[in-house]
Amino acid sequence: MQNPAIQKMVSYVKQCVSVNLEGVEKALATGAVGGKGCVINGRSLKVDLVKSAASIADEVKKNLQVSANDDTEVKVLKGGKHLLVKVPAKRLNAGVEYTTGATSTAAALCCAIVDQFKVNIWDADLVHASVWGRYPQTMEMLGGNVASLLSVPQQNEGMGYALRNVPCAHIALITKKNAMNAAALSSILEQAAMFEMGDAIGDFERLHLMGLAYQGLNVNNLVYDIVKENAKKGTLGDVVVSTVKRAIADGIIKPLAKAPSGYVNYTTDDLSKWNAYASAGLLAGTMVTCGAARSMQHTPSVFIYFNDLVERETSLPGVDFGRVEGTGVEMAFFSHSIYGGGNPAVFAGNHIVTRHSKGFTIPCVAAAVALDAGTTIYTPEKISGTTGEVLSEVPELREPLKYVNEAAVAIKGGV
Amino acid sequence: MATYKPQFYPGKSKVAANRKKYMDPSYKLEKLRTVSDDDIVRLMGHRVPGEAYKSVHPPLEEMGEPACPIRELVEPTPGAKAGDRIRYIQMTDSVYFTPLTPYMRAWTGHTRYRGVDIGVLSGRVPLEARERDLEKVAKELVETEIFDPARCGIRGATVHGHSLRLDENGMMFDALRRFQFDKKTGEVVYVKDQIGVPLDKPISVGKPIKEDELRKRTSEYRVEDVAFRTDKEVVSFIERLHMLRTEAGFDPNRVKGI
Repeated sequence: MQNPAIQKMVSYVKQCVSVNLEGVEKALATGAVGGKGCVINGRSLKVDLVKSAASIADEVKKNLQVSANDDTEVKVLKGGKHLLVKVPAKRLNAGVEYTTGATSTAAALCCAIVDQFKVNIWDADLVHASVWGRYPQTMEMLGGNVASLLSVPQQNEGMGYALRNVPCAHIALITKKNAMNAAALSSILEQAAMFEMGDAIGDFERLHLMGLAYQGLNVNNLVYDIVKENAKKGTLGDVVVSTVKRAIADGIIKPLAKAPSGYVNYTTDDLSKWNAYASAGLLAGTMVTCGAARSMQHTPSVFIYFNDLVERETSLPGVDFGRVEGTGVEMAFFSHSIYGGGNPAVFAGNHIVTRHSKGFTIPCVAAAVALDAGTTIYTPEKISGTTGEVLSEVPELREPLKYVNEAAVAIKGGV
Repeated sequence: MATYKPQFYPGKSKVAANRKKYMDPSYKLEKLRTVSDDDIVRLMGHRVPGEAYKSVHPPLEEMGEPACPIRELVEPTPGAKAGDRIRYIQMTDSVYFTPLTPYMRAWTGHTRYRGVDIGVLSGRVPLEARERDLEKVAKELVETEIFDPARCGIRGATVHGHSLRLDENGMMFDALRRFQFDKKTGEVVYVKDQIGVPLDKPISVGKPIKEDELRKRTSEYRVEDVAFRTDKEVVSFIERLHMLRTEAGFDPNRVKGI
């Protein structure tokens, strides 16, 4: 609500759209439009879109602009293969749906192609199909070449889920596989969604803000310190011990009573802060375990057993009071092949299996995907296509930690 | 702070003490038998002993890694460095006083081994890791006191048997007959690998642990010996956690000092 960098990032998620010009050119040339296996034989249009990227970009910009010198931007990337389009905020503010970003870009691109290459009325439908894909026969732009980070509203699990519907593959690629930034971007999107979902309100607002700060934004260097302590030889169990040690040292938890065996029950006067510490430990545990194996598949196991172990160590509830652990159980089923599903890179906060924890699991999954050295058949690059790569050109999305910290410092008038 | 020592598990019973002991990585697991490195490889069946490790990606040094402070900090395991495939060992543990219950396998595995992916299912517990890392872990899992040749099964597929009665030799049921009790030597021998593929020569995993000894070592609560309900401290711990999770879900700000 207060940090301008976070507001900007949320706005950019709506405004920024990726265009695969090379894809449009290929689709037009071959008639392969509307998704896998669909080819319209006999339909073909040879246009040099990649070579003409600069003029196409100008035309798209002109079509999208609301007023001269507004915040519309169209950037040509990879020698014209891709465009990064920023739809002006005014255009989004004039409507109620975030889909304006993708729809107006797709429409602007169609107009630009038709105008520049003087496409006749009989071929205009092919241009539409190559840009929009099979839509409107499908809900989304199936096989299209324009993509937003956000899925269409019909694909959201419930109210306020839009920002949670970003697969971790995109997050890892946008942040160029920097695990800290991947976790930060994911945490910002997830916790911002909590406000939209009606979770981060009243008694629960502080819980989510603390979670964002400690898990997502590395407050007091907590995540980094715990990782560092266990970087060379640490196990997940060692990370649990480091987390508890730090929570005791910082006065977050304290002994309550000793049981006959000598076991000490711990208590806290600030459960939201304990949850924040535990969620920072969970991320550190993911980074140590998945980092040591350079593999993303360990995430659900970390979710379950970090929480089991931290609960047994303290007798206090684990992250999100049991919801992360439950999420881990489901995610383990759906990410370890026999029940189908997919690898962690396809998961998002909107996923049927991972939506239950309110913002505390997906940042860890994003970090794990960033740390993977290539152990999966479907790599993040394959899953994300060009979207993640193109959106990594937006500095605020690529390096959220830097921008959010700078904005926070500015609000506080310096550190 | 100075007084904090990792406590691992509550409880005053012998079972709780065993749980604590096995979960504590500073406790050295007692070695009860020797199985050669090559036999461990044969039992898992992922490669032939002596065969080079297959890789899923090039060695990290060759491929280079993206700029990331966490990658710079976190040391990859030897298997990850080399780009090994991720492989598994899967255990089935009988409900009759097995050394490790399924959950204990996960808790113990995560406190003792680095970079492992453990999952607990109703009748089996797979542990996955990079191949050369896995082989080291597997050796300790099979050679030490947390394994009993008769009541723990190394089973990659068709794992059933954990909840069935033991046979006349005290062996857990195995539909694929991977292991047999050798009456002459009193040892348990594997004639098939964990998937059920016949081995060229049988592999002995030693003599079953005696019943009274198993009851001493087990981490399983069971009515015939230490019933769960008799360990009041553990029961109250579970009740406390249940209460705290529920209260916190209602309003985290009201959970103070309890």
